[in-house]
Amino acid sequence: MNNLEIAQTASTPKVLADSAQGRVFMAGDSYPENPFEFFQPIIDWIDTFLDKNDKPLGFDLELIYLNTSSIRAMMDIFDRLEESHQNGRSVSVLWSYDPDNERVGELAEEFKEDCTFPFTIAPRA
Amino acid sequence: MSSPDLYDLREIFDRQQIMVCFNGPINAALIEEIGRALRDYLNHQQEAPSAVADIFSVYIEMTQNIRRYADQHPELAGASNAAIIVSREDDHYVVSAGNVVASDDGVALKERVAGLSGLDRAALKALFKTQLRQPREGLNGSAGLGLIDMARKASRPLSATVREIDAARSFLSLRVVL
Repeated sequence: MNNLEIAQTASTPKVLADSAQGRVFMAGDSYPENPFEFFQPIIDWIDTFLDKNDKPLGFDLELIYLNTSSIRAMMDIFDRLEESHQNGRSVSVLWSYDPDNERVGELAEEFKEDCTFPFTIAPRA
Repeated sequence: MSSPDLYDLREIFDRQQIMVCFNGPINAALIEEIGRALRDYLNHQQEAPSAVADIFSVYIEMTQNIRRYADQHPELAGASNAAIIVSREDDHYVVSAGNVVASDDGVALKERVAGLSGLDRAALKALFKTQLRQPREGLNGSAGLGLIDMARKASRPLSATVREIDAARSFLSLRVVL
């Protein structure tokens, strides 16, 4: 299975999805004009990974600002993780952020409310 | 007066404490650039990072709504033009944006804004979460979350005004006080 690598732009985050490691890294702002287009390859990668093997999948997030359509897309991703978790798969999210911007922590908390898998929100020291 | 008097215009900007003003055709690249300038300016003013985040977020939702609406209404003359103002009023930042809409859409948006005005923080959060789980098929390319998100960030109810341009079109202005 391929890795996925998307370079960061002003309105889209850096994305690295590593199939050998079972890790997805996303960092930066996300407010693309067409978020569904931007997120579809990421969602496809996750679906393939979850479908093709039974390795754990971990997310390392350093996302900062998400527009509402990106929030919707991230919720679609977390819903997939939740479903896998319910089926016994090991999945986890670590979302680290700069504590000066408390909005990031609040956003992560709202996502976490709907997830029962390990979801860690970590203010960076 | 045949040419715009920049001195007078500047007086108005200063008096109304307008920091950013744009009027014209808007696209994704411009939204990004103006947003960058806005963030830089606010950071330079030593604003709290959470305040900068809220202002930027409302600015992005408003301008992307206008873009999306224009894309969906290529037949509507002037719909791709946006008027955007970020200003200060007393101790608050105000983000305002206006665009040409079909008259019915202007009325409908005004009603949606009025519907949100009676909701407290908990109700707005619940509504946001409900809207977040709407099936994508019925959404018409938008997540339908922008207005609710703005209302959650605002310190006062959002205000929308509609001014008739002709029989079919209106100018819609939305104002968010942070």
